[in-house]
Amino acid sequence: MNVNARFLTNRIAQQCAYKRIVTFSTKPTEQSAAAAVPQQQQQQQHDAVAPPVRKPIVPAHYRFVYPEFLPDPKVEWRNSIREKLERLDMLNRRRQIELPEFYVGSILAVTSSDPHAAGKTSRFVGICIHRERCGLRARFILRNVIDHQGIEIVYELYDPTIQKVEVLRLEKRLDDSLFYLRDALPEFSTFDEHMEAETLEEGTPVPINELKVVLRPRPWLERWERQNLRGVANIDQYLKDKHRKSSEKVQKPWEKYDLMKQYRATIPEEEQKEIFAEVHTELHTLELQRKRNKRKRTFVKPKHLA
Amino acid sequence: MLRTVICDLARLRLSGSTASSAAVVVTQVREKGHLSRPRLRNPYWFIRPQRSQTDDLVTGENRSFIKEVIHDTYGVPALIKGVQTYEQRQLIKTPQASATEDAQPWTPNVRRCGLIARKIGQYPLWLKNGERVRTTLLQVVDNHVVKYIPPEEYRPAQQPDVKHLHRYGCLVVGAESTNPALLTKEYCGLFKDSGVMPTKNLARFIVSPQAALAPGTPLNVGHFRVGDFVDVRGKTVDHGFQGVVKRHGFKGMPASHGVTKTHRRPGNIGGGGEKGRVWPGTKMPGHMGNRWRIIKGLRIWRVNTKYNVMWVQGSSVPGSTNGLVYIYDTILPLRRPQLAPPFPTLYDNDAEEQLPEDIWHEQVHNFNEESITYKPE
Repeated sequence: MNVNARFLTNRIAQQCAYKRIVTFSTKPTEQSAAAAVPQQQQQQQHDAVAPPVRKPIVPAHYRFVYPEFLPDPKVEWRNSIREKLERLDMLNRRRQIELPEFYVGSILAVTSSDPHAAGKTSRFVGICIHRERCGLRARFILRNVIDHQGIEIVYELYDPTIQKVEVLRLEKRLDDSLFYLRDALPEFSTFDEHMEAETLEEGTPVPINELKVVLRPRPWLERWERQNLRGVANIDQYLKDKHRKSSEKVQKPWEKYDLMKQYRATIPEEEQKEIFAEVHTELHTLELQRKRNKRKRTFVKPKHLA
Repeated sequence: MLRTVICDLARLRLSGSTASSAAVVVTQVREKGHLSRPRLRNPYWFIRPQRSQTDDLVTGENRSFIKEVIHDTYGVPALIKGVQTYEQRQLIKTPQASATEDAQPWTPNVRRCGLIARKIGQYPLWLKNGERVRTTLLQVVDNHVVKYIPPEEYRPAQQPDVKHLHRYGCLVVGAESTNPALLTKEYCGLFKDSGVMPTKNLARFIVSPQAALAPGTPLNVGHFRVGDFVDVRGKTVDHGFQGVVKRHGFKGMPASHGVTKTHRRPGNIGGGGEKGRVWPGTKMPGHMGNRWRIIKGLRIWRVNTKYNVMWVQGSSVPGSTNGLVYIYDTILPLRRPQLAPPFPTLYDNDAEEQLPEDIWHEQVHNFNEESITYKPE
């Protein structure tokens, strides 16, 4: 009986593993990546048996490219009409301005209107260290070191004062938020203001920069040793036994098995499909338009030499 | 109670004694003889709406017959303005004609009807100067006038806080039509005269006789204009019994440095000597939330007529998301409308169709417009 029950729960866990996908992580979890392969095989078998059913084709990567289109998963705050109106507003804004795909770890340049700046616009280049919130409230933090002074600016993605968002280098880092750059040596968050945009070939997956950051000695802003950071090189050098012990105490290794927690923290895949099916065509046409414009921009008419 | 019985008995004996002898003895009753407890008489529409769910042993055929009858009388289920309701074709269209005939002009002191809405969430809008405003979205959910009680007949047992109440009538408005088979007979009877489908929610609005509406009139978000100010009434989120830190924002005491057992306690609650007692109104732990509150003077920034939604300034509208709220014209003297609002309401046929789907305040940045730029001086 006991064995049977365990077997059953295992089965359920396996089934659930590829139904629920973490929305906010930029990298697909190992489980879902492993599960994606057999699913495709199953689909192929299925196709061979029955005639293929036409479905709206929403690319699977949309939940990582457009995470802010997924609403807050807290049930008490959800309302379908509010979400629909919010999505319409977001699409309207996206028709006016190109909001490119970017991730935590990408290097961006944001040009925004500023009543106090000379020329009434300001441009800020920096690394995206955090991305949060959904809908029209979506925002991200850019960090750079200018004149030996660390500067961070919080931008709201749908703020109409933003004139232009350029991705200078599209890449991911090893962690989902890079707040530890605040306690790292300044060269790790220093980026050239006049950096040129690096182009990625179309269709290539977003590269993951495996750079490990060197931390400064204590005191730190947060207890980084408790956060299982992968992108930090020298954290062990600053830890004493008491830090190791206390960080062990607060670890919650069982949380990755907590299906209910994961369920509450994410939007179920069926709903994600519904949402993206609604906005997919619009987003796709915008993407195509952007590509066309880019091609136009890259083609430079040779100058007539006198 | 006992005292009154005793008094009555004494009086009986007195009357008996007066018959025998002419001497009159008057027993003095110093008290009123009963407790002066106000009698709680609720409005007549406070009836239990939900029928107790018993297994009626109705056959499938009969069940479908009941459904058919409901659809015949009230129309088929339909999605109207984003709300799941019924196509109510039975509502007579004459009230608008009669209303336009003897319509009286709007005056600044007139009280209009309000609306029943649901708070559906909050998100920011931006003004044209780049400023960000937090807004709350209120959706008007399928409102219909159920009854009008003229001033002569309106005698509420519990007096609302309205000056010169005798001059005003009362409008009963229902929101969110529902299947009458789930409701009690008495509750359904409230809607019988108006012909409106029974609704889940009812509210009363105190209105001037000029602003009276005929039963069956649908109320939409066009009742208010963009730029108007409204008061929103709702029941705040229930927090239960809370301590002083959460309830009144006390600071509490330090977590360490030798502090024991008093981290979130209020500390001293009164002085000694002549004031040696706890003064009335002292902030103490207790029940928090679940109270009716009105937030006044909120500007309407934007209106969507397709889904009956209005964007209202601020994010502190009482109640939880998806909770019911009531919207009124503001009572703040400096924010009352200067120009005539739709009076007594915006009727479906005259202007509703002409309204655009999205109406923006002139100061608000429309997401369809280009990015905001500032002109160099």
